[in-house]
Amino acid sequence: MTIRKALLFTAALLAIASCKKTEDAGKTTVGFLLKSKGNQYFVTCENGARAAATELDIDLRVDGPINADPAKQNEIVENWITDGVNVIVAACENKDSISTALRKAQEAGIKVVTYDADAQADARSFFANQATAQGIGEKLIDTAAELMGSEGEFAIVTGTLTSANLNEWIAVIKARQAEKYPNMKLVDVRPCDDQKDKAQQEATNLLSAHPNLKAIVAVCSPAVPGSAEAVKQAGKSGAVKVVGLGLPSENRAYVKEGVTQAVILWNPEDLGYLAVHAGVALTKGDLSKGAKTFKSGKLGELKVEGDSIILGEPVVFTKENIDNFDF
Amino acid sequence: MRNLFARHESVLALVIVAEVILFQALGRNFLTGGNVSNIFRHSVEIGLLALVMTPVILSGGIDLSVGSMMGLCAVVFGILVKSCGLDPLSASCIAVCVGALGGALNAGLIHRFNMPPLIVTLGTFSLFRGLAEALTKGSESYSGFSEGFLALGNSDIAGVPTQIWILAALGFAVWFLVHRTTFGRMLRAIGYAPEGARYAGLPVGRTLGTAYVLAGAAAGLAAVILVARLGEARANAGTGYELLAITAVVLGGVSIFGGSGNILGAALGWLALAILNNGLTRISDYEIMGEKISSVAREISGMLTGILLLTALAISAATKTLALRRAGKQTMAKPTPS
Repeated sequence: MTIRKALLFTAALLAIASCKKTEDAGKTTVGFLLKSKGNQYFVTCENGARAAATELDIDLRVDGPINADPAKQNEIVENWITDGVNVIVAACENKDSISTALRKAQEAGIKVVTYDADAQADARSFFANQATAQGIGEKLIDTAAELMGSEGEFAIVTGTLTSANLNEWIAVIKARQAEKYPNMKLVDVRPCDDQKDKAQQEATNLLSAHPNLKAIVAVCSPAVPGSAEAVKQAGKSGAVKVVGLGLPSENRAYVKEGVTQAVILWNPEDLGYLAVHAGVALTKGDLSKGAKTFKSGKLGELKVEGDSIILGEPVVFTKENIDNFDF
Repeated sequence: MRNLFARHESVLALVIVAEVILFQALGRNFLTGGNVSNIFRHSVEIGLLALVMTPVILSGGIDLSVGSMMGLCAVVFGILVKSCGLDPLSASCIAVCVGALGGALNAGLIHRFNMPPLIVTLGTFSLFRGLAEALTKGSESYSGFSEGFLALGNSDIAGVPTQIWILAALGFAVWFLVHRTTFGRMLRAIGYAPEGARYAGLPVGRTLGTAYVLAGAAAGLAAVILVARLGEARANAGTGYELLAITAVVLGGVSIFGGSGNILGAALGWLALAILNNGLTRISDYEIMGEKISSVAREISGMLTGILLLTALAISAATKTLALRRAGKQTMAKPTPS
């Protein structure tokens, strides 16, 4: 009787086994690796990647870890290698470990492009770079200058005073201000330790120490809503402008209330779109080492610096357009 | 024949066959050399933990600290090689010793202070991971290991992933220890009736100590293998692996109350889980309501693991009950003469 059951069971399985697979033979296959699934930022990157896939008529496979297991990204890449995908486009969670797997992919003849967070240089051909220090710094100070009428006192709230990339941006801001906006004056740079409540406290101190302050520029993401809350509670909404680098979702309420005037970030959808375009271009020979520019569909001609493709200018999110972005 | 089907291992073997047929049918490149090798390569660490978790569970205990121990050992290994300039082999040995020491700490607390293993290892679960995070300040990691060392995690010997040979050798050793030595019998005796074992004069402390030290040392070895596979040592190595290992062991029919179960079952349980996790990622060409399955496969793997565990154990329990009832009827039909 048990044997009969086992036979029935096997028969049922064989019936399932005879189902037809839908195989897209001959198409270029691209594996699109996320840092983590369910993160709205990467969901937006994925949307851009899908748009590029439809446009280029390729087979796109999207995957990423759902938990903190550092081994997961490697496993996904190794599975793609055995599948024989043509291109892997990866945002790297752990730079060093994923590079081990990406190098293996390159040895297997797979083209590798990274985006958002780079791997080691020898583990990929190109990095789709969302923002250069120059681009971010200039956009921040230009936006602030526009809001301030190019004159008056402003202050910066940063993450930590030792953070390399934030300091690079601040240096760009200082240089650009000295050169283009001589009537503006940077009165202070305060660290918030990447905490929103600390940022609020620092901004409150800045507001009372500098009564003529016309703008706060927040260069790390927790500092943007933190500074906005301080300005709001001080009753200086609109009088003191808030500009910063951060996610639209974290700042939506303040932007709509008119406390924060502008939030700056690159468009992750364009980033995903660019990365897939670059990967496919590598397989077609449209992009190779030493290229100076790269034409990426609707994004047009983009600059290539060394082995990174620059996405271009960051986007400014304001009251008018912030609802079009849900990350 | 009936006896064979009533065995839990047979149920598991059927489950594995079913998985293979299913994934071969629905998935892409499932039964290819490359993928089969991936199945094993990616699950060796869990396999090692499951292997040494079996004696611990047989003794009526549990070890929740092995995953955290992997994090600690990975970090220790990284520091020794990268900051102290030690060669990878010596560093591996030290990492394994650190694991063994951690296991000894577990055993000591459990036996000397008569504390429940669940509580003790829950404590060391936080302690070991915390130590690893403290040593690296939470963010530092170590990479740039030599090619020779990375080969341990990424190369093949005779077409089989290198680390599988290690797992197989250790698997045989643990099987021998559990099923062919007095140590194994003492372990079951302790798991079955701890007080009885004590009254019978069994060396309870020494036996438990061996089981936990073995678990810790294997966690150290798993950490070294993981670092060799990834090329990076980080404090979060092995996060959550202890539960996967326990799932494999319990799926393998080892009683969580101790005393009964065997290594073969645990190995089959591990294999069933490894195949499930890999197979789901192979299914990528189907669409349900406009959504590609590949984009949900990883999310449902946890759910399916749960279903697999509960179904396999339910079938096993049902066959046992059925067999008992049948036996009961026969006894009733033929009352034994007094």
